[in-house]
Amino acid sequence: MKYFAGIDIGSTAIKISIVDENKNLIGSKISASGSMFYKYAQETLDALISELGFNNNDIVYIVATGYGRKLYKEADENISEITANAIGARAAASEFGEIKTIINIGGQDSKAISLDSEGNVVNFAMNDRCAAGTGKFLDVVALKLEMDVNMLGEYHFRSKGTPLSVSSTCAVFAESEIIGLLGNDHSIEDIVCGVHYSIAKRIVKLVKRVGIKEGIYFDGGPALNDGLVNAIENEIGQRIFVPKHPQITTSFGAAIMGVDSYNYENS
Amino acid sequence: MNLIRFRFWFQIIAFALIVYGGYVGLDLGDKLPTFACVFNSEGTGGKCYVGMLQHDLKNPFETFMGFAGYAFLVSLIMFMVWFWVLNKSWCGFVCPLGTMQDWLTKLREKLKIRFSEYSWASRGNIKSIKYILLILLLIIPVMISNSILGLPKLPNGLSMPFCDICPGRMLIPAFTGNFNQFYIDFSSKTDLAMTTLGMIIVGLFLVGSFIKKRFFCYFCPMAALQYIFSEPAFLKLYKNGTKCTRCGDCYRACDMDILEIADDVTNKNLVTEDCILCLKCIAACPEDGCLEANFMGKTIFESTKEGFILRMAMNKQRESHE
Amino acid sequence: MNNTNHNIESPKEKQNRHKAMEAIKLLNTLREDFKAPISSMGYFYDLFERVHCKHESLHDDKTKIGTMCIQIPSEIIYALDGIPIRLCNGFYTDDEIGSDFMPQKACPLIKATVGHFASGNFTDKPDIVFSPTTCDQKTKAGTTIESFGYKLIDVDFPRTKESEASREYWRRSVKQFAVELSKFQGKKLTKNNLKDAIKKIGYAQLLYHKLSEFRKNEIVPILGMDVFLVTNAFFFDKIDNWIEATEKLLSELEIRAREKITVTGKASPRIIYTGSPPIFPNYKIPQIIEESDGIIVADETCSSNRMFNDMVAVDEWNIYDMMDSISDKYLKACTCPIFTKNEDRIRRVIQLAREYKADGVIYQAFAGCTVYEMEQRSVLEAMEKEGIPILYLESDYSPSQGGQLSTRVEAFIESLKTRRRNKK
Repeated sequence: MKYFAGIDIGSTAIKISIVDENKNLIGSKISASGSMFYKYAQETLDALISELGFNNNDIVYIVATGYGRKLYKEADENISEITANAIGARAAASEFGEIKTIINIGGQDSKAISLDSEGNVVNFAMNDRCAAGTGKFLDVVALKLEMDVNMLGEYHFRSKGTPLSVSSTCAVFAESEIIGLLGNDHSIEDIVCGVHYSIAKRIVKLVKRVGIKEGIYFDGGPALNDGLVNAIENEIGQRIFVPKHPQITTSFGAAIMGVDSYNYENS
Repeated sequence: MNLIRFRFWFQIIAFALIVYGGYVGLDLGDKLPTFACVFNSEGTGGKCYVGMLQHDLKNPFETFMGFAGYAFLVSLIMFMVWFWVLNKSWCGFVCPLGTMQDWLTKLREKLKIRFSEYSWASRGNIKSIKYILLILLLIIPVMISNSILGLPKLPNGLSMPFCDICPGRMLIPAFTGNFNQFYIDFSSKTDLAMTTLGMIIVGLFLVGSFIKKRFFCYFCPMAALQYIFSEPAFLKLYKNGTKCTRCGDCYRACDMDILEIADDVTNKNLVTEDCILCLKCIAACPEDGCLEANFMGKTIFESTKEGFILRMAMNKQRESHE
Repeated sequence: MNNTNHNIESPKEKQNRHKAMEAIKLLNTLREDFKAPISSMGYFYDLFERVHCKHESLHDDKTKIGTMCIQIPSEIIYALDGIPIRLCNGFYTDDEIGSDFMPQKACPLIKATVGHFASGNFTDKPDIVFSPTTCDQKTKAGTTIESFGYKLIDVDFPRTKESEASREYWRRSVKQFAVELSKFQGKKLTKNNLKDAIKKIGYAQLLYHKLSEFRKNEIVPILGMDVFLVTNAFFFDKIDNWIEATEKLLSELEIRAREKITVTGKASPRIIYTGSPPIFPNYKIPQIIEESDGIIVADETCSSNRMFNDMVAVDEWNIYDMMDSISDKYLKACTCPIFTKNEDRIRRVIQLAREYKADGVIYQAFAGCTVYEMEQRSVLEAMEKEGIPILYLESDYSPSQGGQLSTRVEAFIESLKTRRRNKK
């Protein structure tokens, strides 16, 4: 059996997916990027391979993507995370239907990608200059509220009444704003909900730049946050599809690309 | 092809044929779509249709309904066929009045005197004058032979009303040494008025075309008459708007200051009502295939970058001047 | 203890060193990092090295007439025996110096230009500067530059070009410009010197067109960055040397075209580059494009195509007509976004995309450039209508944006490749 690896080296986390020749997902692994992307990427890949019981020779093609893609020189190919994300989303949501719009919120950036009916990227918009509206923002908020990031979803649904407005354009200044809200006796639930809506509004603005087309897919680490998903659905006015493992969509797409490239080269 | 040179010689030859052709027995008929003066009785190689038109229309209705009307139609059709061969380039390449104006322009250029231009508003205002003159030269002969709407018939002195004021009547015979047409006729009030007007117009023609390129052509009723039939003509000026950068080089070359040649990028047929089809615009266009002269579907002269460079003499000939 | 013996560089030395570093970095990339380098480009690489690294002046013997933008007629300057030096600046070092004098969100090109003036550190210092009133920032930067002690004259440029009034206005401005320059130089315009100047510039433009023809081929023999370098050299080089070097370049390209030597990969997407001008050494985005397997086959920018695209045509070779022809061409043919309507620019981009068989357009605006940012919408819509893929990017002169820009460019190029594959 031949296996193909997709390595997504992001600024916060390294995600690796391995697929077989039929593009089925065999396994995946996530680890922190830290400061030595290359070393950690290699280590994570090795760990995943041994977990799955293969050896290195079973991997015949590696595709790297993400910000650190050019650092991982062992890769046979590298592609932009936008292309990889598109491929991964289409494959992961195949039972759900035709995906035409992808929302990705990463650790330090967010993207909106628009696809045509064949799944090709026709347009994209990125916010990679500012942390407001990214995973970083959620980290800052969770830290300030002295809770775990995983709990944010639960607190969101416990909020009563209209979501508070958290208006800071800067994730760092939002910290001060939250302190202010706490001081005014607002509940943590309401603050969390407000933060989610603030991110959701920003995201919808980003998506409008590429056009909101039916068949919306949401991935990236923050997609695990049900509260955030709920806020975005309400702001965008449509149901959105969140995969079981939203962090690995891009690396999954890269691995699938590897299958095609390998077959093309050996045809 | 050096269009300027070609046109210069073509105009001289056409001028010679029209003004002196009669001496060698040339007679191109009297339906010509260009000025060719009947008053140049010995030398003329043909006669202009405007004269014929005024003559044909000076008939009572009854005869017009019969033989005269038939003759009129035949003349008109012959005129149209002559016209269609060259379209408005009868004006730009053949007409002796046009050629005279071009010679005056060359003289001015040699004297380094600046030419004058109309403001856009004025240009718009004067456009209708040629149509008014055309209508007048059609109606006046009719009104000499017929009473229209109860108005009295016009005096016979007004027959050939345009010929009375046409600068061609005075200038063309002058080229054969015949200056007799420069006169004022005191025999009747109408004759006095018309011939005086004629002298004034000749003066305006000479001064006007010295300071403004092709001054007379803005007012020419022959141009008005031609433009009505211009659409089906065989020779066309086509523009491919997508290649046009609106640089205005063609407008700079245009003697008639036609803005549309530079600014219109949607229409294909650019023979506008003032256009004399001199083709200077094609020679001045630096884009390949943007403007072309097209004869019955075949491109006979096209703008090219190479041609532009040669004409502007921008291919390196001299050494540096620094 | 502090080390009091080390030398602290003077600002001028620091500026020179930093600018030299910026310049040599790009030149070495061009010399070494791409396949099939062109030997006759050596003249141009050396020229930029001589000027920016070795600080050689080229025009000691003549008056240097500084110009901004492309609307100041070089023909008139050459006719009056001056050397036109286009002062639009591409150095990040100068951008930093200029940011002390300009608002924070200002266009980096203007900041760099102002910074250069502020430092007064020129190899060929302009004796007088003519600044057309084009975009807001260029217009207002004039007084700032004057305050540094330079002689600067405003040249009135209209913001519309369709009306009679704007055309008359510009003709008058050009006449006024000629009068001013004539006074400054102590020379007069004659029929012969103006005619020669028009013909010389026309010849240089012809060379550019011949160069562009090669880029229409399916196998492209020259990088877009190299062409930008050639056109940027025209800003300040001795025109006769530039002409000679470009002629040599053309001969070499002939050979390359015949032998089908290419600088690209097998299926490199062909790109039209439009927007804020890439000025040496700010070739950041063209570099990313060409390093990501794209090839720039044509451009619609004022540091390249716009300078050379349209030639002056004269009907009567006398001064009055030559002056009017020059004025009309510099106004009517100009596709700068400072005009109210930009139809001509859109038509030009579409026509270039067709003629050069482009796969896509990359539209780049400097952050802070109101006019290019505002035109983006209409250009994007027009491209969508024509079915031409387009990518919009914002950038400035700072060296740090690399990753963000390359992600976008690469994603775009990948989508172009997919499109091409699907068409087959």
